Amino acid sequence: MISRFLLGAFLAALMLVTGISTYLYLGGRQSHVSAAPLNPTLQTPSPRAFTLPGTLFLVQDGAIYSLSAGRFHQVTTAGGWMQPSLTVDGNLLVVRKSSFYSDIFELNRFGKRLKQLTFNAAPPRSYDTGNNHWAFYPRMASDGKTVFLSYDKPKGGYEVDMSIWSMPLNGGLRQGTDWTYSQGYTGGDMQPVPVKGGIIYTKYLRANDGSIISQIWFVNRPYPYTLYAGRALTKPDQDCREPSISPDGRSIAMICTYGKQISNLVVAPFNGSSIGAMKTVISNQMVAQPTWAPDGSGIAYLAPGLADAPFQLWFLPRNAYAPPPPGPSPSPSPIGGGPQSSPAGSPSPTPPPPVVVVKPIQITTYQGFDAASTLAWAT
Amino acid sequence: MAMGLSIVSGGLAYFIPAAYTAVQATGQVVEIASPSPSGLLFSPTASPSSPQQVGAFTVLLLGSDDDSKFSSDHVLTQSMILVRVMPATKTVVMLSIPRDLWLPLSTGGMGKIDGAYSYGRAGAAIATVQENFGVHINDYIWVGLLGLIRVIDAIGGIDIVTSNPVLDDYYPLDINTNSPYGYSRIAVLAGPQHLDGTHALQYVRSRHNDLQSDFGRSRRQQQVLLAIRQKAKQLSPEDIPALAQAIGGEIKTSIPLSRVAALLPLASSFDNPDAIRTIVLPSPYTHGGAPDGSLYPNWGYILPLVHQYFP
Repeated sequence: MISRFLLGAFLAALMLVTGISTYLYLGGRQSHVSAAPLNPTLQTPSPRAFTLPGTLFLVQDGAIYSLSAGRFHQVTTAGGWMQPSLTVDGNLLVVRKSSFYSDIFELNRFGKRLKQLTFNAAPPRSYDTGNNHWAFYPRMASDGKTVFLSYDKPKGGYEVDMSIWSMPLNGGLRQGTDWTYSQGYTGGDMQPVPVKGGIIYTKYLRANDGSIISQIWFVNRPYPYTLYAGRALTKPDQDCREPSISPDGRSIAMICTYGKQISNLVVAPFNGSSIGAMKTVISNQMVAQPTWAPDGSGIAYLAPGLADAPFQLWFLPRNAYAPPPPGPSPSPSPIGGGPQSSPAGSPSPTPPPPVVVVKPIQITTYQGFDAASTLAWAT
Repeated sequence: MAMGLSIVSGGLAYFIPAAYTAVQATGQVVEIASPSPSGLLFSPTASPSSPQQVGAFTVLLLGSDDDSKFSSDHVLTQSMILVRVMPATKTVVMLSIPRDLWLPLSTGGMGKIDGAYSYGRAGAAIATVQENFGVHINDYIWVGLLGLIRVIDAIGGIDIVTSNPVLDDYYPLDINTNSPYGYSRIAVLAGPQHLDGTHALQYVRSRHNDLQSDFGRSRRQQQVLLAIRQKAKQLSPEDIPALAQAIGGEIKTSIPLSRVAALLPLASSFDNPDAIRTIVLPSPYTHGGAPDGSLYPNWGYILPLVHQYFP
């Protein structure tokens, strides 16, 4: 009797354990599509063994991180921080975005707040949300005194479009200058990059088919009242944006969508005000925010990782887009007998060297960085 | 046998909540509000197909503002998208119908097409589209604002190339709030990025600062739908309970549960982005001047286009 009772109890326990195990097993087989990105400073997983030169600043979930010598360090707490860029003395210009407005700050490399450059919150007791302003994508000019940015002024009613502005680092937007006239109801002009003799930036415009496209433009001085002032560096159907200039100033990297839901990494020669032949170097990824290494060794960018993980850090070595020049071509060696020589004695061309395909390197695996935020790369 | 029973029990315990939610959301019976060729009771029978379109079917996607400003079953459809799926050729056509289109409603009288759902729910919306556009709709899927947020969050967000900055100083602050008539500011920046449900909704819902108004919004909605499809390809059957729990009550469809299961692998087989055609209907397909700021259809242009892609 007791043995039958024990057997029954054992079977009941076994069924309970098996049932729970089945439930847990099925739960464990869920995909990881909804898993939250990992904090970059976690030791495991760490960035891949490939170590990037200098210090790279990136953004995840409203916090700025630095990547140096293969290790991440958290620069700011999570609080709407985004779009870092470098000042000439090595500090950071960053945006802090809240629900209704965004402002530009100067931080040191360790995240200490040095200065607030803009004050875009609506006045106290203002109930009109339109009295707030956005400021995005700050970039310092080489003079170390002038900051370029995208700013949503002028605006009115439902029309909110960004224009490119400049302002003194030690002043404010009251002393600012409006450089561009944006097309209404497109989002406007974004992501200025100061270059020698002017700025390049991304302009959003209406295309012939009615859709809105992006173009890289160059302008050499303020044109606050002229829509098409300056020079378009790319064509409308290329839909290019997010320009980045190489450290020597002679190349430009950007992304171009050609109207599709992908973004190619494109590089081209740049002479200061116009670009040469464009070359697509990555065409099978959703590339964002290409940024040149300060030592010219390659281009970092953000793109979904393998298995479509959220945007990860990638690095494209220089050889992928600027392969070393081929060695001197073989010249026919003088062989006696001239034209009458047997085929065996004719100049034999050296077989071409095997083509080495340089692939981009995925640096991080699980982090999930903010792809609408620029990268900043210091030496 | 005991082991087998307990394994089955564990599996049932895992999937039953999802099955319950799925049964509630799927297989909705639709009553067509006006006489139509398909009869009074909508039935998901396959439409006549050419040999090249064996198994092809058409779904009407309906997206509604179901925030607290509206009673739950009398909401407008902010988004109406006809989707034609052709499994044999692995091609998809998506045609966005302007919400402001002024035409005869199946419930009687003239009005904006976005009101059809409000007057007669899904049946009226389907009948209005069928009668005016001359298409046969096999099924519908309706999703509310929270449903879109929850679907996108449940699949871990979407990766998308937003075509331009979407800035809106007067974006409705009407979800999860006691003050549904308030406003917020939004700034969805342009370019490739990862969007969670809330920001994806901002991207597809805002239309104040768009040069193309509702047509621009339609293009953005199509982009987000394609991004959802891309992300959904990574899901496994074990994800269904969590997904069902997330979207419970926020999605309704006439597609029966058995067909939903059959369609999941089909969705993942559409790999070529060039095989997905997206269509919007700006001028000359439509033009302004209709009552209440709505749009007149130019059927001379619209119907040949519709018959080409929705035979």
